Amino acid sequence: MLLGLTVCGAFLSMWFATGVGEGRYRLQDSLSLFSSTSLSSTEYTILFKIRLPRVVLSFLVGGGLAVCGAALQGIFQNPLVDPYVLGVSSGAALGAVIAILSGVYLGLLTVPLFAFLFATLTSFLVLRLSVVGKKIPLEVLLLAGIAVGFFLSAFISLGMFIAGENLHQVVFWTMGGFWGRGWLEVKMVLPFLSGGLLVLSLFTRELNTFLLGEKVSRSLGVDVERVKKWLMLAVSLVVASCVSVSGIIGFVGLLVPHILRLFGYQDHRFLLPLSFLSGGVVLLLADTLARTVLHPVELPVGIVTSILGSPFFIYLLRKKKREL
Amino acid sequence: MSTHLVVEELSFRYENTEKILHDVHFTLEKGTFVGIIGPNGSGKSTLLHLLSGILPLQEGRILLSGKDLRQCSRLEWAQRVAIVFQEIPLQVNLPCLEVVTMGRFPHLRKWRREKREDEKAVEWAMEVTQTSLFAERDFSELSGGEKQRVMIARALAQQPELLLLDEPTSHLDILHQLEVMRILQALREQGITILGVFHDVNTVAQFCEQVLFLRRGTVLGFGPVERVMTGERLTELLEVEFLESTHPLSLRPFFMPLEVRKKPPRGVQVHLICGGGRGIPYMRKLLEEGFTLSVGIVNQLDSDEEFATRLKLPVVREAPFSPFGEGALQRAREIARGAHFVLVIPTYWGWGNLLNLELARILLQEGKKVLLFRESLNPEFDYTGGEAMRRLRELEEQGVGVIDELDDFFSMVPGALH
Repeated sequence: MLLGLTVCGAFLSMWFATGVGEGRYRLQDSLSLFSSTSLSSTEYTILFKIRLPRVVLSFLVGGGLAVCGAALQGIFQNPLVDPYVLGVSSGAALGAVIAILSGVYLGLLTVPLFAFLFATLTSFLVLRLSVVGKKIPLEVLLLAGIAVGFFLSAFISLGMFIAGENLHQVVFWTMGGFWGRGWLEVKMVLPFLSGGLLVLSLFTRELNTFLLGEKVSRSLGVDVERVKKWLMLAVSLVVASCVSVSGIIGFVGLLVPHILRLFGYQDHRFLLPLSFLSGGVVLLLADTLARTVLHPVELPVGIVTSILGSPFFIYLLRKKKREL
Repeated sequence: MSTHLVVEELSFRYENTEKILHDVHFTLEKGTFVGIIGPNGSGKSTLLHLLSGILPLQEGRILLSGKDLRQCSRLEWAQRVAIVFQEIPLQVNLPCLEVVTMGRFPHLRKWRREKREDEKAVEWAMEVTQTSLFAERDFSELSGGEKQRVMIARALAQQPELLLLDEPTSHLDILHQLEVMRILQALREQGITILGVFHDVNTVAQFCEQVLFLRRGTVLGFGPVERVMTGERLTELLEVEFLESTHPLSLRPFFMPLEVRKKPPRGVQVHLICGGGRGIPYMRKLLEEGFTLSVGIVNQLDSDEEFATRLKLPVVREAPFSPFGEGALQRAREIARGAHFVLVIPTYWGWGNLLNLELARILLQEGKKVLLFRESLNPEFDYTGGEAMRRLRELEEQGVGVIDELDDFFSMVPGALH
């Protein structure tokens, strides 16, 4: 029922976002998605080659980040964990910086490919570093993530320092945004996202038992370490693919699942799909805002999410403190 | 009765530690309720964790209804064995029904929804634990006792043959403790074998049929509560002196920790002349301060006599309700021979115990330091028509020390306390 509503909401906001934008393409124009005959070829190109893929991509990235945030928060039983806890963001940024500065060209997807590669490597490195015995304690993971992040950030800064005229490109990338993204990026994200979602959906009941504590979960027959390993693998691939096409977009992955939990959705069988849908909607709307609010200048969407997200995060922190 | 759980030569060690469990073996029959008692670090929780399968088996065998733990998958084992822990999960905002349904996890296939039989098991579990009432309520809204009952329901929803409990009542107040124990006792009738660690010996004495003593990872005793659980064995197990008696209503064994915290013996012997129960607080205080005591003369069945006997002090007794006789007097002189001090505790004086003042006089003459409490000189305590008072004053004249309270005595002892 509620899932259905959210799905409708998602389609509605996609339709809205496709309609909003430059020129005379008003809301009702995006209806022409369903009957493209009435459009001129320019209009057709703008709607289908520029706006629609961007809408779809921002939805997928937002959904991917949020669902990964929800899963990681479930794994660690800690609401303050976000998808970048594995160090993916700095890894991706370094990859992008290297791709931009080295001038390597392997087709249109060069930068995202580098970003993806480095992001995946970083998350595996962080996971590897945080294994103690057979377990992955949260504190160790956080510290390993931070330490590796700092190390990579130094190289990112170095890259920026020597970037010269490419500096703005690097800076833009790290801010996160969807300008100039098309179907190619959608195609790049989609396999990882669908694979990741499949894995996550296999383990929703296990994630629920984590709520009762790891000991209980084990006593119910859950192979806790194996479940964690699969989940983290799925999460790191999904997050890496998202980051590689969008840059670093903060707070969607932290904020969306947390709001849902505040509304009482703790059951991962609902929490995960809801996170995906609402995360998608949130980022889609944020991106629509980003490209229209200061028209004709376009803001990086990462700025929008952070400006809206940080106050919420502070609110969370305050509330948490009061509970302690 | 059929053999249900067999544990053979179970040993376990964590990485880089000494063995936590050492060759543990025991056999349980179906439907028994067994309590495990042992001091901290004796391996109680480790034993339960091994039985529940959340710790990997290292050495030994565990068989449930003839099936070996090693030959079962995690899920298969979880379908037959459930465990309830001491900790109650904090951040669960799900309706209780959902929490209990999680107990169906080992019975469910991936992607599938719960079937009618799952719902039935959950219903049964909530009925038995009397949690059906709050099925729709949020788990986080419940009280501690209600939460623990929901956790037991969650374990029962697994439909286990063996239910393990790791100090499930430690965080609960007395009312909820009893409630949980009553529920567990009722479960026995359903043929579920229950093995629980309880920190309170009386909980075990009251509710369990059998008891298993665990100390430093080995089984120190196992058998029916009435036979195995004695004050002496508990003292040996827990290093606390226990006084055994009988629960006035259930008639089951009941244990009181004596909690005599003693200072190291100071090598000073004190003979107490007391009676009528007035000597008990003095005995306790003196023992705590590390004095060596002897007591007498007292009548048998006098509270002072019973207390001194329980503490295994040397006591000179006279037959119940009888005036003290010459024989007792001689024995008292004998027993007090090594005493450095003699304390005459304020008590009532009648013709029966008047000989105790004679004893004090003799001991004074023998050169002992005899002390009297000023309270004793109160004529209201005298039921001999003035004879006791006369003798007390005589003692005073002959050089008996008179003190106001026990602290005065402590300050005169060599190596004063204060």
